[in-house]
Amino acid sequence: MNNNLINVVNLVKNFDEQSVIKNISFNVKKNSIVGILGKNGAGKTTLLGMLLGLITPTKGDIFILGKNLKLNKKEILSEINFQSPYVDLPKKMTVEQNLSFYSRLYGVKNFNTVIENLVDDLKIRNLVKKNYGSLSAGQKTKINLCKALLNKPKLLLLDEPTASLDPETSIFIRNYLLEYQKKNSSSILITSHNLDEVQAMCSNIILLKSGEIVSEGNIKQILKNYNYKTLIELFLSEG
Amino acid sequence: MFSRIIALLIRYKNISFGSVPRLISIFYWPSVQILFWGFFTNFLISNNSYSGLGILNIILSAVILWDILFRGQLGLTMSFLEEIWSRNLTNLFISPIREFELVISLIFISLIRTIIGLTPAIFIANYFFDFHLFELGFFLIFFFFNLIIVGWSIGFLVSSLVLRYGHAFEELAWAIIFILLPFSCVYYPLDSLPPIMQKISIIFPPAHIFESMREILINGVIRYELLKNIILLNVAYLTGSVVFFLKIIAVSRKKGLLINQGE
Repeated sequence: MNNNLINVVNLVKNFDEQSVIKNISFNVKKNSIVGILGKNGAGKTTLLGMLLGLITPTKGDIFILGKNLKLNKKEILSEINFQSPYVDLPKKMTVEQNLSFYSRLYGVKNFNTVIENLVDDLKIRNLVKKNYGSLSAGQKTKINLCKALLNKPKLLLLDEPTASLDPETSIFIRNYLLEYQKKNSSSILITSHNLDEVQAMCSNIILLKSGEIVSEGNIKQILKNYNYKTLIELFLSEG
Repeated sequence: MFSRIIALLIRYKNISFGSVPRLISIFYWPSVQILFWGFFTNFLISNNSYSGLGILNIILSAVILWDILFRGQLGLTMSFLEEIWSRNLTNLFISPIREFELVISLIFISLIRTIIGLTPAIFIANYFFDFHLFELGFFLIFFFFNLIIVGWSIGFLVSSLVLRYGHAFEELAWAIIFILLPFSCVYYPLDSLPPIMQKISIIFPPAHIFESMREILINGVIRYELLKNIILLNVAYLTGSVVFFLKIIAVSRKKGLLINQGE
């Protein structure tokens, strides 16, 4: 368990009569980038929701940083963070106000300096005084990522991290995340429909189908085992 | 804990007072109400010989006290609904915030909004009608806190229903208070209601509060049994509504409602 950042044990989630996650177990190693793949309705969002403590599992346990999420939720949540293009920040506040607000919520020390550094790193200085609600989708994605990095998370969960970004910015963000992960020895969990991106960033994948894991492990090894050349081939056949 | 509560208070301050129209919307209605009721009552008094009972004082006290309840409820509900409208619930609930910290922050911002909203109305009443709300003395503070507690109880109830059942319940944020109004005996005594309505009225704190207010202003009498009822009912309603709010958050986690809630 020590080398694992996440241990998921016999996880089940039912919404009323519908079984969305069907008794899955997996581990995510420290210092790794893992992609969670699956078609719409495969259970990716529900799984992310449970890892974030937003959705209560029907059965099973989640251990993050060696602690049971059920019993240590607040402690664990201060060490992780999340970014999704489908989740906004308060629209009526400026970017600067939003970043200060979330820094305080996460108890970030010297948060003004932390914000200044992230703003420069992510090249969003021209946006800090603007109202979040007035930004384009791509700009919001960058701001959301900035918010997700405020507490220097040991585990970063990303839902479509480069959605709405132009190709140049996508590459910039992708490289930034890879560098961030190496520099901070953190782990990143990515859900994305951009399989090229997943292949470029992740060492391992978890492939979900109708709430079950159909494939899990090192990407190269999985492709070799199934005799596929690309993730797209694997996804279309097995996902 | 305090840094998270302060963070939320700063956020709610930015929402509530972040622009001139939003700031004006907080205090214009209480001020307009006071002017309307003040001039109307003055007109009635000047066309009647029935002016010996300080009718103006009673009406204006009732208007201001009722608005405490209304502003208290609205301040709490609107601050929480803002999180839903701005699709911020997910980010809020994945942060290390504790539910009770959210409850405390909502209560504080409602208190601040209510005080800011009502202060100009009290000054306007004093300037135009020589009205002194502070004639109620210590009981003004007692009534203020008990009315705003009623507002918070309703606010938590409405917020819970919107969180659980969605936008259809948002209308309640504005309407629910007016369902309570006829039973609250704001402008008339309890015994002027039909017996069945009286029985309903006494299970809500406002009827006891406004009865007490009239007793103090008209007869100078403090009815301690009413004060006891107010406290007991408010303790029960506030505890019940907060527990309900926390329970609905737990149910929302089970049903996956905290992801992607929004407009």
